[in-house]
Amino acid sequence: MRNVIRLVWFDLKQELRPPIWIIMEWVTFTIQLGIYGALMSQLVTGISNYQQFYAIGFVVMMTFDIGAHTGRHFVEHAHEGRLPYLLSLPISRSKLFLSIALQGGTELALMLSVPLAISLVLIGNLSAISVAAAIATLFCLGFGVAGVMLGLSFIAFKSADLYTAITVGLSSIIVRFSTVLYPFIFLPPNYAVAAFLSPLTYGADLVRFFLGFDPSILLNPTYAAAVLTALAVGTLGLGMFLLQRLVEGVKSA
Amino acid sequence: MAILLSLNLSDMLVVALVYGKLMDFNYFRFFVPAVVIMGLFVASLDTGRRIWLAIREGMIHYYLSLPISTEGIVAAYLLAGGLAAMVYSSSLLLIALVVLPAHAVWSTFVLLPFLFVLATGLAGIAATLAALASTHGEFFFAYQQIVQVVLLTLSTVFYPIDVVRLYLPPFLVKIVSLNPLSLAAEAMRQYTFAGAPVEPWSLIMLLLTSIPLAIIGALAYLTALHSIQVKGKL
Repeated sequence: MRNVIRLVWFDLKQELRPPIWIIMEWVTFTIQLGIYGALMSQLVTGISNYQQFYAIGFVVMMTFDIGAHTGRHFVEHAHEGRLPYLLSLPISRSKLFLSIALQGGTELALMLSVPLAISLVLIGNLSAISVAAAIATLFCLGFGVAGVMLGLSFIAFKSADLYTAITVGLSSIIVRFSTVLYPFIFLPPNYAVAAFLSPLTYGADLVRFFLGFDPSILLNPTYAAAVLTALAVGTLGLGMFLLQRLVEGVKSA
Repeated sequence: MAILLSLNLSDMLVVALVYGKLMDFNYFRFFVPAVVIMGLFVASLDTGRRIWLAIREGMIHYYLSLPISTEGIVAAYLLAGGLAAMVYSSSLLLIALVVLPAHAVWSTFVLLPFLFVLATGLAGIAATLAALASTHGEFFFAYQQIVQVVLLTLSTVFYPIDVVRLYLPPFLVKIVSLNPLSLAAEAMRQYTFAGAPVEPWSLIMLLLTSIPLAIIGALAYLTALHSIQVKGKL
């Protein structure tokens, strides 16, 4: 386990010296929530407090971005030549995969700490259990998304540009066809079908459920919890299976 | 550009439609013209990425070896950035005209040269960021994201000025009013889609807010190039 932690720190310290990206995410969140969220809340009449709704949606978007970044980070390592070095280290492939997942989880915790705290203060009147459940949901979603991106990484071993195009295009579609920005009941029927396929729909509505939002505008929480759990376990397991077979003998681009 | 197009199209055809159901006014009619300006802005910022890549990969030394003045290289980058943004936003405009009936399409031709100056000014912002971030290349995207968020959030791209006046302090309302993105979005809404007569003063304001950005960008990039010529690096 010491080797895993050492590997996690090896990658993480580059993000923390200096922590420009983390601070930038916090500043972006504050501006978006403080100005965009507040002003849109004046226009939106379909929801009682749109700023709170948007705050959680933005936190879920950040979770998605960080999960996607973990997957892309791995692909960049492969193309920069770091992967053969990591594969040569005296640790098992499963521990290597665990270190990637832990590094992603730690980055997620760092990035979300301030935005989530601000969102929770904004919503107010919460219990420790509801906060813990919301945080667990976000991590489950983050791991699930990272697993999807790692699973897609086999494309990058053929073409890094194609991988980048697919992941960025997918990201923009997944956010807009989900309940990150608006409740499910307001989606037109054609868009609602696409929203059912977006993991962010389940993540956002489950977090909102735990934080006390009106259940009538949210998806069934049992259904959402089941989908998220299946996503996290399935994609991480699939990614672990694929990676152990794809990375052997990989060449740098 | 294909990725940017999917992003802006989904804003136009998904976000605008759904938000319209959440509000009491026709948000689709309000937001679709602004998506064209948003596309122009994002495409202009790509100039900074190209400058950053050229410095990082050493292509800049090749450009400096060409029989063109340094000022010529700077002008070429900014004009190319402006032109690329115009081509991109024109495709968005064509799609906007299909989904949203416009009452004065010919007004677009009056707006085009002013939007080109705006695009060049926005490319100037991107060039400034690329020149500032060049010694710490990885910071370029961080700077760009902050500038993008600030300029878009403090504009009337997403919300009317009346709402801004009700909620934000006066100095921020002034910034929003003078933001070239606000001026361009309002011009697109009023002159092309609503069919209002073109007011010269608003177009002059657009020029007055865009040209200084282009000049600052040109000076910043020129300084960076001179530094490369003298020291061989930044």
